[in-house]
Amino acid sequence: MTRLYEAVYIFDSALEEAAIAERLTRFHALIQQPGAEAPQVNQWGKRTLAYPIKKHQTGYYVVAKFETTAEALPEYERAVKLDEGVLRFLVVVSEGEQPVPVTAGKPSEEDDE
Amino acid sequence: MRRPQKTCAICESGVRVVDYKDERTLQRFLTERGKILPSRLSGTCARHQRQLSTAIKRARQLALLPYIKGFGG
Repeated sequence: MTRLYEAVYIFDSALEEAAIAERLTRFHALIQQPGAEAPQVNQWGKRTLAYPIKKHQTGYYVVAKFETTAEALPEYERAVKLDEGVLRFLVVVSEGEQPVPVTAGKPSEEDDE
Repeated sequence: MRRPQKTCAICESGVRVVDYKDERTLQRFLTERGKILPSRLSGTCARHQRQLSTAIKRARQLALLPYIKGFGG
């Protein structure tokens, strides 16, 4: 069963855009399901962090939305964790701004009365 | 004397699900030091307060919000 996930990555801001794009394609290849759409990537760009992470004051934020199975996640998360260019990342089940029928089908979100 | 009932700011703005990536809005529900404001003070309804608390905690992990404001660095 596939679910919608949302991942936020904080890359080292010293990385080139090309290096970030290369990493994103590498990560997203791991979670790409046959027949599923390619992940929607939204680049926020360079931002100041609220507190230093690994001695960095700024980070390059990228938000990606994708649909995949739960089985594909551990391998993907391991790959992201091992990458030194990623300061931090967060993967959550995506619940926001979807049409009502989509959220209604998912029992784990407290979105219904 | 009963104080007038405060209304939930999030319900009023018509948002159903609180987004952890929107740190501007979340900022309004923090104290000066960056602690989560109790619903007693902010008037948020129970459902939105629950959503807020997870959203703020996620935003903190992503360094969108500080854990403690005005501390050291």
